Amino acid sequence: MSDDPYEILGVPKTASHDEIKKAYRKLAKALHPDLHPDDAGKKAEFQAVSAAYGLLGDPEKRKRFDAGEIDASGQERPERHYYHQYAGQDAGRRYDPGMGAQEYEDAADFFSDLFGRRSRSGGGDYREAFHTRGPDLRYHLEVDFLDAVRGAKRSVTMPNGKAIEISIPAGVHDGQTLRLRGKGGAGFGEGPPGDALVTIGVLSHPVFTRDGDDIEMELPITLDEAVLGAKVDVPTISGTVSMSVPKGASSGRRLRLKGKGIVRASGKAGDQNVRLKIVLPDRMDGELEELAKRWREHSDFEPRKELRRQT
Amino acid sequence: MSMDERSVVAEVRRVTLRELRLWVREGWVQPAQGERGPAFDEVDVARIRLLCDLRKEMALPADALPVVLTLIDRLHETRRDLRDLTKALEEQPEEVRRSVVAGFRERRRGSYRTDGGA
Repeated sequence: MSDDPYEILGVPKTASHDEIKKAYRKLAKALHPDLHPDDAGKKAEFQAVSAAYGLLGDPEKRKRFDAGEIDASGQERPERHYYHQYAGQDAGRRYDPGMGAQEYEDAADFFSDLFGRRSRSGGGDYREAFHTRGPDLRYHLEVDFLDAVRGAKRSVTMPNGKAIEISIPAGVHDGQTLRLRGKGGAGFGEGPPGDALVTIGVLSHPVFTRDGDDIEMELPITLDEAVLGAKVDVPTISGTVSMSVPKGASSGRRLRLKGKGIVRASGKAGDQNVRLKIVLPDRMDGELEELAKRWREHSDFEPRKELRRQT
Repeated sequence: MSMDERSVVAEVRRVTLRELRLWVREGWVQPAQGERGPAFDEVDVARIRLLCDLRKEMALPADALPVVLTLIDRLHETRRDLRDLTKALEEQPEEVRRSVVAGFRERRRGSYRTDGGA
C-alpha cells in the first residue's frame, strides 16, 4: 500500500477540505472493521485511511505535510533546522541588528568599547554615534575546481557596485569564507569600512576529485598496458606528466604521484592518487579473442578464490 | 551550500518567488550576492522558514514583522555576546572569575530587592 495519504484517500493534492472529508467517509463506511469482523486486510486498510485522514483532515497538519515539514506518519522531518540553531552560532551574526552604543552609556568605558560594534577597528578619537564602521558585504563566488586547487585571481562586482580583486588561495575548500578587510561598505563619518565576506562554492570536475590536499582520479588503461606495463601520460592539476604502469597491474590498483596534489602557500604539497581501470575496446577484434581463448586453455588463475572462501 | 531563488522556492514550498523577493528587498533575508543573483545559504533558508512560520502559521501581519524580527535578532545577538563574554571570563584566573561572579550575584540580588519593592 502506498503511504502517500492523498493516494490512500484517493483524492488529488488540490482537493478541498470537504472533498477529503467526503472521500474519507465513503472509505470508512466501506472498510469499517465492525462491518468486516474477520477481514484483516480491510482492517489494515481502514487504519491507513484513518491515519491519512488524521493528517489531511487537519488543515494545519495538512499544510505542514504539503510543505514537507512532517512525514506521512505526522512525524517532524529531521531535516528541519530551526533558525535559532544557526543564529546561536557565529554565522548568525549577519542578522545582528547592531546595538546602539547608547545602550551601554552608563557602563564603564571599557565595557561600552567591548560591545561597541560600531567602533571595532578605528583609531582613537570617535564619537560612536556619528562615526561607525561600514557594513560587511557578503558575496558568493563559484569557482572551477582547477581554480580552487591551484589558486586564482578573480575580479567581482560587489553589491555596492564596486569591483574588487579576490585572490583565491590554492586549496580553498567548498563553503570556505574569505574575509577581505576593508573591502565592505564605506564607514560613516570617520568610521572604517566594513569587510567583504566571500564564500566560495567549488564546482566539481569531470576527472579530478579531492581528498584533503590529495587529488584523486581514475586512469583508463588498455589490456596490453596492464599486462606488459607501460609509460602513460596522466593529466594532473598542474599539467600532464608521464607515469609508469607496472607490469601486471590490476584494475583498482592505486599509484601515487608524489607532490602532484594541492600545493599550499607554505610549500606543503599533497599527492595525486591514480586508480587504474583496465578498459577493453568497444568492439572486440578477433585477435584479442583468439588470445583470450588460448590463455584460458592453460590458465589456472582463480581471482575469486578469496571471495568464495570468505562468503 | 548555496541556493538560488528558484531552489529556495522548491525547497521551502511555503514561500513564493514574489514573497521571497519582497523579503530580500525589505532586508528580512540577506543572501550573499552571487554572480547570477542572490545566493542563499542554510542560515538564510532557516530564516525563511521562520518567516513562513511567523507570517503564515501565526498570521503575523506584515507591518508587525520587522518589530518581531528585530527583537528575535537582538535576542540572538545578546545571547551570543553573553556566551562570548562567559568564554572570555572562563580564561581568567580563578580569583578574577570569583570576583566577577560575586559582583554579578550582588547586582542581581540588589535588582530583585528593588523590583520586589519589599
